[in-house]
Amino acid sequence: MPIRIGLCSMAHGHAFSYLKCLQTLPEVEVVGAWDEVPSVLERISNQFGVPTYSDLNALLIGDLDGVIICSPNSHHRQHVEMSAIQVPNILCEKPIATSEVDGLAMLEVCRDTDTRLQIAFPVRFAPAITEAKRILDQGELGTVYSASCTNQGSMPGGWFVNSELSGGGAVIDHTVHVIDLLRWFWGTEVTEVYAEIGHSLLHPGLGIDDAGLLSFQLANGVYGTLDTSWSRPPAYRIWGNVSMDLVGSEGVLAVNAFGQALTLTSEDTGRTHLQPWGISPDMGLIRDFVDMIRLGREPSITGYDGLQATRVALAAYKSAKTGVPISLPLDPLTKED
Amino acid sequence: MLKVGIVGAGNIAQIHGRSWAELPVYLQGWFDVVPAAAARSAQKWGGGIFHSLEDLLANCDIVDVCTSVDYHKEVVLAAAAQGKAIVCEKPLARTVSDCQDVVSYCEEVGARLFVAQVVRFFPQFQAAREAVVSGQLGTPATIRTVRAFGFPGGGAHRAQQYADFQRSGGVVLDVAIHDVDYQRWCFGEVERVFARGLLEAGIPQTDHALILLRFTSGAIGHIEASWAHKQGLSRTHLEITGTKGIVEWDSRDKDSLEAATSTTGGTSKLTPYVGSDHPWYAELAHFLQCLETGAPFRVLPEDGLQAVRICEAVLHSIRTGLPVTMSEFEG
Repeated sequence: MPIRIGLCSMAHGHAFSYLKCLQTLPEVEVVGAWDEVPSVLERISNQFGVPTYSDLNALLIGDLDGVIICSPNSHHRQHVEMSAIQVPNILCEKPIATSEVDGLAMLEVCRDTDTRLQIAFPVRFAPAITEAKRILDQGELGTVYSASCTNQGSMPGGWFVNSELSGGGAVIDHTVHVIDLLRWFWGTEVTEVYAEIGHSLLHPGLGIDDAGLLSFQLANGVYGTLDTSWSRPPAYRIWGNVSMDLVGSEGVLAVNAFGQALTLTSEDTGRTHLQPWGISPDMGLIRDFVDMIRLGREPSITGYDGLQATRVALAAYKSAKTGVPISLPLDPLTKED
Repeated sequence: MLKVGIVGAGNIAQIHGRSWAELPVYLQGWFDVVPAAAARSAQKWGGGIFHSLEDLLANCDIVDVCTSVDYHKEVVLAAAAQGKAIVCEKPLARTVSDCQDVVSYCEEVGARLFVAQVVRFFPQFQAAREAVVSGQLGTPATIRTVRAFGFPGGGAHRAQQYADFQRSGGVVLDVAIHDVDYQRWCFGEVERVFARGLLEAGIPQTDHALILLRFTSGAIGHIEASWAHKQGLSRTHLEITGTKGIVEWDSRDKDSLEAATSTTGGTSKLTPYVGSDHPWYAELAHFLQCLETGAPFRVLPEDGLQAVRICEAVLHSIRTGLPVTMSEFEG
């Protein structure tokens, strides 16, 4: 019996990458894809040979084992709530939601319906990241003092720059990946965050935050910074990066999650760019999600992980608005105002 | 030709001595509270030994202040009082009020004071600023620099000076000040700062800081300054972005000359700073040229003061855990 998976919205570009990954797995049947935009469905049908649905519920009631939600951020809650009553396993694109209230509601509905909710943090599966965690677990850096991190990227445009749909710009888009990695590395939490945020700083007239610099404290004593800026121009050699420079008592560790790449120059593109090689992080994520369904195990990246990372992004906005560092309560289910 | 005297014969003085020896001046001599240090330097780079600061001042036109930071004020004031032209190693002085005393006194007596913020003379850093100034990057948006070293060596006495953070100001006042000055040179005045670091962590021979700067233009800066890296594994990094582009440089990038031989063990980078590209040569040559033409220095006394003031605000932020707005900061 194949593992039956449906796609709920192709709005986030990762959806196409996930679809390609799914189609390489012999045990998976991609049952269908739903999207609001008819031309997107046409492309899915023509290019990938996947059945399409203009009614999401019609897809969800089709006895799916899993659904992958890649809708705009502010729609995640509605789509998780619709899916949870029909489908036992959900993979939801990051950030989990655009507000803490929505995130908590999503955790609750999944708990009530016995639905496994995994959040799409593919960077955990980048080889450099997996190996970095092993090095840290072995204590090779000694006492770690600090983590200077970047998740800089190019400006994605589209619904990402519509705050109604995205919940914010560069800060919500690029805070959650690295915060998730840090929480995962050490099983710790962010206890305080301060942020300098720039609106339309790199893209005049954009109307949303496109530069962000967070300074944070972790409960395990490590402090750090994270640059979330959409600061890579269209002509740049790669879409962006996830980098972490860790300093410890016994040495330093420089992590470049997307560093496995060739330098490729082509007259087709008229520029030189970095062409990834090796197993893609997206493939690792999809493999992990499918394994979770196949083995009936708990998610490796939970909805709670998604919520905790998102809370840091929301606190960063609050810090920039108030001009002071924001404390995050360690009890995850204590709601802030 | 002008006569140069160097006060303080520690590490940075050796680098200055080497450059003075190549410049069209008389390297007159050295004074250090440790006479043997002055003697070693004189033997290596030329010039004689002075037995007192007064002796040196009486015999030189240019005074190059390379003492530890807590003596800068005293030496600069003495040199200015005698109408000398002065090179003062960064930081200009240990505290903002000491800097203000120095700046106002030099202005009062008309002494020419050059603060040796050498990063402004590193060719790759100059070229990156040129990309900003020329408009190639559009409106400046973000700037990130890294300056990471092991804890300063140079003997127990010297290491002890640096380890006393009250005295030295730690990695912020000694290392991050380079980046504070460079970023301010590129992006203009600083509105506020926020930082975390190891200033008060009490870890022997270790300091580190991650600093956020907000410029009055709205642009955002980041500095990593480290005395927590392993000896010999230093790193420097530069990235500037704007509305039209990005410029980057990293000391880990492949260099223009690298050797891997059985004697080097690993790969050894041999950045050849030739002639006037050598940053310390360039800054002293610039100093001499400005003396001759009367042109203003690339680094004004006020710049030296502001760099210390911003670093003091950074230290204040690390201690208090709060952002510091520069217009409200007393220093």
